[in-house]
Amino acid sequence: MRSLDRKLLRDLWRMRLHGLAVILVLACGLSVFVMSVGMRGSLERTRAAYYAERRMADVAVSVVRAPDRIVRTLANAPGVAALETRISGFALLDVTKIEEPATARLVSLPRAGRPRVNDLFLRSGRWPDPAHPEEALISEAFATALGVGPGDSLAATMHGRREALRIVGVANAPEFIFVSAPGELFPQPERFGVLWMGREALARAYDLDGAFNEVVVRLAHNADQRKTVAALDKILRPYGSSGAYGRDRMMSDRYLTEELHQLSTMAIFLPVFFLLVAAFLVNISLSRVIATERANIGLLKAFGYDDGAVAWHYAKSALLLACGGAVVGSVVGVWFGGSVASLYQQYYFFPKLEFVASPLTFVAAWAAGFLAAGAGAALSVRRAARLAPAVTLQPPKPPAFARMPGPIEAFSHGLDAKSRIIMRRILRYPRRAGATALGIALAIALLIVARSFPAVMDSLLDVHFAQGNRQSVTLSFVEPREMRALHDVERLPGVIYAEPFRTEDVIFRHGRRQVQEVIVGVPEGARLNRVIGREGKAIALPAVGVTLARTLAAKLSAVPGDEIEVEQTRGRRVRMPVRVTGIADPMLGGSAYMDLSALMRLMREPGRVSGAHLAMDPARHSEFNAAVKAIPAFAGASFVTLAERATRKNFDDHVGLMIAIYSAFAAVMAGGVAFSAARVTMAEQERDLATLRVLGFTRREASYVLIGEIAALALLAAPLGCVLGTGLAMWLMQLFQTDMYAFPWVFDPSSYAFAVAFTLGCVLFAAFIVRREVDRLDMVGVLKARD
Amino acid sequence: MVSPSPPAYRVRGLTKVYGDGATAVHALRGIDLEIAEGEMLVLLGPSGSGKSTLLNIMGGLDRASGGEIAFRDASLVAMDDHGLTRFRRRNVGFIFQFYNLIPSLTARENVELVREIALDPMTAAEALDLVGLADRMDHFPAQLSGGEQQRVAVARAIAKRPAVLLCDEPTGALDLKTGVRVLEALVDISARTRATTLMVTHNVDVARLGDRVVHFLDGRISRIDVNTRRASPSELAW
Repeated sequence: MRSLDRKLLRDLWRMRLHGLAVILVLACGLSVFVMSVGMRGSLERTRAAYYAERRMADVAVSVVRAPDRIVRTLANAPGVAALETRISGFALLDVTKIEEPATARLVSLPRAGRPRVNDLFLRSGRWPDPAHPEEALISEAFATALGVGPGDSLAATMHGRREALRIVGVANAPEFIFVSAPGELFPQPERFGVLWMGREALARAYDLDGAFNEVVVRLAHNADQRKTVAALDKILRPYGSSGAYGRDRMMSDRYLTEELHQLSTMAIFLPVFFLLVAAFLVNISLSRVIATERANIGLLKAFGYDDGAVAWHYAKSALLLACGGAVVGSVVGVWFGGSVASLYQQYYFFPKLEFVASPLTFVAAWAAGFLAAGAGAALSVRRAARLAPAVTLQPPKPPAFARMPGPIEAFSHGLDAKSRIIMRRILRYPRRAGATALGIALAIALLIVARSFPAVMDSLLDVHFAQGNRQSVTLSFVEPREMRALHDVERLPGVIYAEPFRTEDVIFRHGRRQVQEVIVGVPEGARLNRVIGREGKAIALPAVGVTLARTLAAKLSAVPGDEIEVEQTRGRRVRMPVRVTGIADPMLGGSAYMDLSALMRLMREPGRVSGAHLAMDPARHSEFNAAVKAIPAFAGASFVTLAERATRKNFDDHVGLMIAIYSAFAAVMAGGVAFSAARVTMAEQERDLATLRVLGFTRREASYVLIGEIAALALLAAPLGCVLGTGLAMWLMQLFQTDMYAFPWVFDPSSYAFAVAFTLGCVLFAAFIVRREVDRLDMVGVLKARD
Repeated sequence: MVSPSPPAYRVRGLTKVYGDGATAVHALRGIDLEIAEGEMLVLLGPSGSGKSTLLNIMGGLDRASGGEIAFRDASLVAMDDHGLTRFRRRNVGFIFQFYNLIPSLTARENVELVREIALDPMTAAEALDLVGLADRMDHFPAQLSGGEQQRVAVARAIAKRPAVLLCDEPTGALDLKTGVRVLEALVDISARTRATTLMVTHNVDVARLGDRVVHFLDGRISRIDVNTRRASPSELAW
């Protein structure tokens, strides 16, 4: 090993604590990068492979009833490579182990062979025997949650008819990678899942002999989806088609796409934070090393090393630190990715989901690490390279201080000498003080961002449940029914109050824009299911016109006062102009809302409702559940209280873990910045502190100068961190916002208090650790040294 | 040797060892010395002879390994860190070769620094006037010459009216002319304040300033000379 390299290693050992801070901060950033980019790649690859292998549908369409004879016509539509017609519906399940009825999505299997589109992946058991119509496959998450498997039986109420089903296998399908009940935020596998059954059994249950109500299509290579959709719509219109749609409206794929989008956001947002701080740490530690190495730099140059060799010598230490950060970041990133992958397996049901980061991901991570360290080192290294040998062998001039601007100078006269030292040093080196304050501010900001998620989620759930969905249970009828059916519901045990609703699948048109969505009919003075306006407060619907969710209004480019067209996708296919009379801000989904009576009139079905939201007496829950399980008229029951509980638990369990990890990262950042800042301040002030000690100042009095400077910078950083954190949190919420979720920024004072207190605590802790060096100061050695 | 007045310092069998075992360095190997109140004593010897080590122990910056050292009957050996800090705070003024001013404070503020901890200090103006820098009070160290900086250091050392003034090569970094100005200030002030003054030097000519000259060699006092006539700084040349 060359002597210079040996020197380099010893220099690194001397600055090992600084180095450790750089490595840890870099590792935090790069591990998030490796995890999110790798996870994104893994999810994308796994999804693509699964879709290809199981022939995931590109287009789907629901109809009321279409005869089997049109299958050939459908198959001949342009762009259709493969097609499967099927029967689909919802059923209430009576599972003995679970008190509440569960809801199942039922999907038929072909009469013979495997589905040509949306094929299944059989996890265990066997395929149902067409000769046994009671045999069914169950989706994996559902089976696990209900504790049922091959050989078990389930009682299902299908389209008003009660049947006994026998589970013969557990399966997954590419169209149900993510399964959540319509209108729910998170999956509730014990409440909602998928059952696949023989075509004949479902045809009988839904009176669809010789007919189907759903088509799934796989497009030919290079097919134009719009043309295929148009052709299918044309063929299926007479059969009550609700309009063909692509993967962007298939729930499972849409959730996955959202997840990929969030991973991309994460891959950029957090690492940038850490890389900036790492660059800052490299800068301050290397500047310090080079300041103490002036004489050595002069010697190297006097021996004949050129500027490039000197620059390279010091740059290497930054690059070695980057290497350390990249190695640790890569290893932690892979571990982190593995943990996230197993977390995902609880939500996303692939045959196999493994975290595999591509070589390119690591190359990018390493490059980013080197770039950050290089950027941090650049200025100091350049300064080292440019030092003239004759100058470096002279002692450096004492730092030149000057009087401060008038008012500050006047203020400083009111301070004692030690406080004046602190103030003048901060003002003398504004860039360095600013960088330290910015580093601390970034740590505060990151904590605010990390902790704003629970606050946002809490607010989202509060608004969604406590304001918007106050019902305990929502019951849906198989078909819209007369208002008097409500009386039957009201008579169910434990029902305190029943509030009718109507939902209608429609196509909205405004100018050239067209969106398929749901209109929800809400009765005047609704107490349970209410429409949410700005700031999460319930609003009353105008008696006329339609109120659009903000995201829907944006898609339609419609504002209140505009006239839009509404076309029913089923039944009479009513087509009417309606005026936009309001904008709503629901947390979830992008529906439209109308006064219940107005909607029923618009659909020319006065007095017919889709179901009821119920306020319940909790004491009579069991009686109610037993009664609902026995009544065949309901297509589904959604237990909102349970959904809320499940959603909160899901969030606490899983998102909570992520937030804990990010909070730990923020602590590393705060600690790293604080320690480096304190260490460098100590190194710079060593002589002044020794002078104070020799003059007779006690350790505590001398330490005040050290801790005071760091504390002053930290206090300056606190408001800056709060402003930065607020901006970043707002921006991140904006990035995470999608058609499906609104992420409102919420001011949560406790997050701010925690972020500031925690970071300042880290800073003071680091300062006190470094302060111990004041006790060990070699007063004579320091003061007799030239500098 | 008998001091003409009661001793400020009494040193008996003082030793100082750095490190241990084979790498031990014996900086002081048994020093016996008495220093009178108000005396100006010059410690002379080559580098590594132990003179600075003795000065540091006398100033409470370092601890002896063995023996006894007392200032006005108070044992420095028995004092803990806090006691030594208090001792420095009340009794000692230090002057080093490299000035050691706080760069972020003006000359006046550097002197005022000790006023915050001293019992009966001079004003900064008074102290700076004594060293002839009344007109440079509001300058920062970087705006002063080496000699001026050292005179500010002298003013800072004497501002608390210390009983002892300890100077470690105070002119080591200065040219003759500047050094003489600094020494003039030092001698003048030590006479006025009657501070016991110890000056470490390896400059034989500077030794002529003291009442006595203690010669050090290899951690021991090799001999002590008494100057029958103290030279004035203006007579010196190096």
